[in-house]
Amino acid sequence: MNFVDDSVELREVQKLEGHTDRVWGLAWNPATGSAGIPAVLASCSGDKTVRIWQQNPSNGPFQCTAVLEETHTRTVRSCAWSPSGKLLATASFDATTAIWEHSGGDFECVSTLEGHENEVKSVSWNASGSLLATCGRDKSVWIWEVLPGNEFECVSVLQGHAQDVKMVQWHPTVDVLFSCSYDNTVKVWAEDGDSDDWHCVQTLGESNNGHSSTVWALSFNATGDKMVTSSDDLTIKIWGADIIRMQSGGIFAPLPAIMIEQFFQYIGQVFTSEYDREGVIASGAADDAVRLFVESEESKIDGPTYNLLTRKEKAHDMDINSVQWNSA
Amino acid sequence: MDSHQRSSIEDIFDSTLNLEETHFNDGYKEGFSDGLASGKEEGRQVGLKRGFETGEELGFYRGCIDVWSSAIRAEPACFSARVQKTINQMDELVRNYPISDPENESVSDVMDSLRLKFRAVCATLNVKLEYDGYPKAADAQF
Repeated sequence: MNFVDDSVELREVQKLEGHTDRVWGLAWNPATGSAGIPAVLASCSGDKTVRIWQQNPSNGPFQCTAVLEETHTRTVRSCAWSPSGKLLATASFDATTAIWEHSGGDFECVSTLEGHENEVKSVSWNASGSLLATCGRDKSVWIWEVLPGNEFECVSVLQGHAQDVKMVQWHPTVDVLFSCSYDNTVKVWAEDGDSDDWHCVQTLGESNNGHSSTVWALSFNATGDKMVTSSDDLTIKIWGADIIRMQSGGIFAPLPAIMIEQFFQYIGQVFTSEYDREGVIASGAADDAVRLFVESEESKIDGPTYNLLTRKEKAHDMDINSVQWNSA
Repeated sequence: MDSHQRSSIEDIFDSTLNLEETHFNDGYKEGFSDGLASGKEEGRQVGLKRGFETGEELGFYRGCIDVWSSAIRAEPACFSARVQKTINQMDELVRNYPISDPENESVSDVMDSLRLKFRAVCATLNVKLEYDGYPKAADAQF
């Protein structure tokens, strides 16, 4: 596959060092990076800590401004900022999810969510910040409601996946939850009215053009009508969803997620992929490379096509665990 | 030979010719009745074991529900509305569990639902209660 535009190139700006074990995940604080507020990034690691990095001044290098330690007793696998940027949730192999609040210059652990039987793999806030979802090796997905005073209440425990659930992600506009798993499927969960009754309303598996191996990650574009999933089967797939049908609800709003396109580009398992604001997809894989894809201007009769925008080989020395676009 | 002699010769040979079939039938009858007896006994043992397990787990939830309900009666504001609703749902599930109808297909769904609600309530109340009866996923180490 030829590059669409040979002049586009990925250039490493800075390498952030400090963690003493592999870095599993990253999250940009959504309330930073524009309007004069320096960008803030959180990274979580096998060294059981989370580091906060800030760009100081706004165009300068990133510096580590805080280390969140002595709370998790095992690897911190994933971290996510609340939409307001005030809270940071961290999911750990120690079976807990910690909620941190920024007060003054320090981060304080204000709540600990327990309930998973073993390693928590991922955590995600919904668009309004009123709900939090976690998932783990115990095959379950938990939904928590955020209450005043940093209280969290368990709304539902969802069973359905047959194996380890690798990631959960809320849809960017509708309160529908997506999860992906070692069982090769992506499941879609929605609430029945307002009753706390969450069900799996759709499963994207091999029979609907889904993946044939572990699905590691999923991500939505800004409007939520497209989703990208990345997998151990060496492909990423783009899915389309009918937002209008999703929003009009009813008891079950079946989301016709249809596989649009897939890429057989990878030599190593694809661990992560993410849409940016303009619809460029970045992906990272076990072959140590970062790739960018973009939807092409000429569309085929049966749907949109995608082109490889650029590829950065050996972006890291080992597997790439996470890619995150700065939304500013 | 006249017909009487012929049939008595046939009779003598009959029992020899049918030896295999006779023994087969005898063996079958013996096996069947032995199987019936031991199957019944095994069924009784399995039933006792499963019944005990189910009863013990239901009893555990009954106990928790009763304690929580007493707490709510004493102090209605101690648990949130959602927790109270879940406890009520658990109460209904336990009360309507088809104890006398083990072949009812919904029993595993009811039990699963009870287990999940129990975990949700414990997580919200921040209590570490665990029912030790059934094997957990974490116990399977590979």
